[in-house]
Amino acid sequence: MEDRIRRLTAEDEAYLRDESHTVGAAEYIAFPRTEEEVRGVLRRAYEAGLPVTLQGGRTGISAGCVPHGGLVVSLTRMNRAEGMRRLEDGRYSVLVQPGVVLSELGKWVESKRLDTRGWDGESLAAYAEFCRGGEFFFSPDPTERSACVGGMAACNASGALSYRYGPVRDHVLALRAVLMDGRTVALRRGERFARGLVFELPCEDGSLLRGRLPGYAMPSTKNTSGYYCREDMDLLDLFIGSDGTLVALTQLELALLPSPAFQWCVNCYFPAEGQAIGFVKTVRDAAEKAAAIEYFDGDALDILRRQRAENPAFASLPPVPDGAAAAVCVELHDDERSRIQARLFRLGEQLRAAGGREEDTQVARTAADVAALKFFRHAVPESVNMLIAQRKKQDPVITKLGTDMAVPDGKLDEVVELYRRGLAEYGLESAVWGHAGNNHLHVNILPRNGEDYRRGKQLYARWARAVTEMGGAVSSEHAVGKSKADFLEIMYGPAHIAEMRALKRVFDPRGLLGRDNLFAFEKEGE
Amino acid sequence: MRIAVCLKQVPSTNEVRLDPETHTILRDGRQSVVNPFDAHALEEAVRLKESLGGHVTAISMGIPAAETLLRDAVARGADEGVLLTDRAFAGADTLATSYTLAAGLRKAGPFDLILCGKMAVDGDTAQIGPELAQQLGLPHLTEVCEITPVGEGRARVRRLTQRGGQEVEVTLPAVLTLVREINTPRMPTLAGVRRGEAASIVRWGLAELGVDESRCGLKGSPTQVVRTFVPVRARETAFLSGDARSQAEQLLKIAGEVLA
Repeated sequence: MEDRIRRLTAEDEAYLRDESHTVGAAEYIAFPRTEEEVRGVLRRAYEAGLPVTLQGGRTGISAGCVPHGGLVVSLTRMNRAEGMRRLEDGRYSVLVQPGVVLSELGKWVESKRLDTRGWDGESLAAYAEFCRGGEFFFSPDPTERSACVGGMAACNASGALSYRYGPVRDHVLALRAVLMDGRTVALRRGERFARGLVFELPCEDGSLLRGRLPGYAMPSTKNTSGYYCREDMDLLDLFIGSDGTLVALTQLELALLPSPAFQWCVNCYFPAEGQAIGFVKTVRDAAEKAAAIEYFDGDALDILRRQRAENPAFASLPPVPDGAAAAVCVELHDDERSRIQARLFRLGEQLRAAGGREEDTQVARTAADVAALKFFRHAVPESVNMLIAQRKKQDPVITKLGTDMAVPDGKLDEVVELYRRGLAEYGLESAVWGHAGNNHLHVNILPRNGEDYRRGKQLYARWARAVTEMGGAVSSEHAVGKSKADFLEIMYGPAHIAEMRALKRVFDPRGLLGRDNLFAFEKEGE
Repeated sequence: MRIAVCLKQVPSTNEVRLDPETHTILRDGRQSVVNPFDAHALEEAVRLKESLGGHVTAISMGIPAAETLLRDAVARGADEGVLLTDRAFAGADTLATSYTLAAGLRKAGPFDLILCGKMAVDGDTAQIGPELAQQLGLPHLTEVCEITPVGEGRARVRRLTQRGGQEVEVTLPAVLTLVREINTPRMPTLAGVRRGEAASIVRWGLAELGVDESRCGLKGSPTQVVRTFVPVRARETAFLSGDARSQAEQLLKIAGEVLA
């Protein structure tokens, strides 16, 4: 069988890195197109004792798909929709290969144009009904739309809308996966559970995987730090957010949600951070849940002001009002115009009570305006990346230090205070933004030189400890990958890390898959 | 300065549904947006008002649901909205539309400046502006990218045409159609949205306008749509095999079919 493994050449250099800008090393690369080919590739690597790093869109920022030797398996050519189902509640699901790109999936679902070649009768019937019915969408929305769905499942990606609709985990109904030794597993949500912390999982060849789940208590926050484990859990959940360390995902059944008839975005500005955070808490307590509550601090707004003035590519950004030192972007979804309008006006009252002005508040109710405010949201990380790229030219050691930590609901003020104190004490430049609704702010330290970078890393580790003490998560949507393995140990401690290693051995006894993700690779007996 | 802005509601996508009987676009108001060029006209009107003082009237001919569009225009800075709506106006081509719009503008006016988008993205005719000017007996300039009122009832206007730029002075009142380059439309503020929702939108039908019914709507339209359809675009990839000669022959044959 053609297994598509070949030597990695200078032309494949891009496959040694991801958006973390760390560069790895590998000897071989493969681009399988089918599950059967994935089985062949992994089995051969298994027999040869070759470490394997799985890749999708390489858009991750935790170096999860940066290879540490061996074979790179890029799943980007497994980019087809393989079927569709109509669910009992009238929704639909789409069966996709892991290399399907998020933006493509979005286009397929929105235009209702899917390549149905090779689909079974059930899928074609579901598709025909899907075309006749209303609008649907796939809700997880990480900023980087060129991510692949396999990678998104591997890191349990989320995005702004996960405030209302949840991360990828909540939308995976079934999956197919290949183990390092070539065995396959098929799981459907609601069908197979752990008993306490003990599990038995049959492979399709009839063999049985038996193991024990780590006994840690996961934080009650948005979280993608280490394996998802809890007593009596649905075993499908083990593979979502497993950071490419247990199996290669070869098919995902993703649930589609009915599109709300109205999607409005509101940019609310405040003269001070405290007022904005107070507003976030008020909005969060509203009876009808917002779709997203995003935050941008004064430094992020200053970056946007500069970009808008200096860079023609950003000239169409909505202007940031003078005097604004913090912004909260609220997205509202509703099916009734009168209801969403009432919600908007209520938001206005809350905004005024918090110290904002309705005259400064931008309201997007049309597709063009919504696109402009989404551009606003995306322009911040993009601008920061541009800034860092510039500084990296002066000092190659510099990369962006972006946190990804979330804390429980009652701790938002405390964590903001923690960040501000640390940044002031260390004298570091920064920009803060992110998913305030989930108490999940990305603090981006912007090092000016190597010394800043070193001190920034120290501060980051200090925060990981403090956030753990608050009952938070060290990684909430970017996953641990390789760059946050130290923080995972801070969060769970060595004993639980050992339990994670033991769990991994059930699926990958030779420790070949996703080496150095979550925890550093250790040879048996060392 | 009293300014009128003509706004058209257009389908938000290319996937329009057509009426099988009249072959015109079904406007159910759900998936509709303001014609993007008209958004620039509204923005320019509001900017002129902000710098010179004055009053902006947004006017549209359309189905009752187009009222949402006019409330949105008020939210973005217009002072009032006028909706010309009547079953008799349905199915209008550009001649019947400009006849009706002109009547509305006469009733709502007088205006110093009437602004339109360069064209509507659904019909692509770019006829309404010039036809309006004709109906109202006013001068007009198309593809305008800059407007500078210079006093004494005149304005200096820059045009951005496919061949280059042109600077023209025009007497007011005049009808101008604007290109996208003229400005970046603003987003409504929450305070604006409240104003828009609280505004009372004027509605005028056949009776209020006192127009000749035979010149309105489908009846008043010399343009009759015989057939409309959504073009089907098929894309196919073919791989040629064989030696160079046979591949060249196959290619020639395909080229011949395409060019035939």
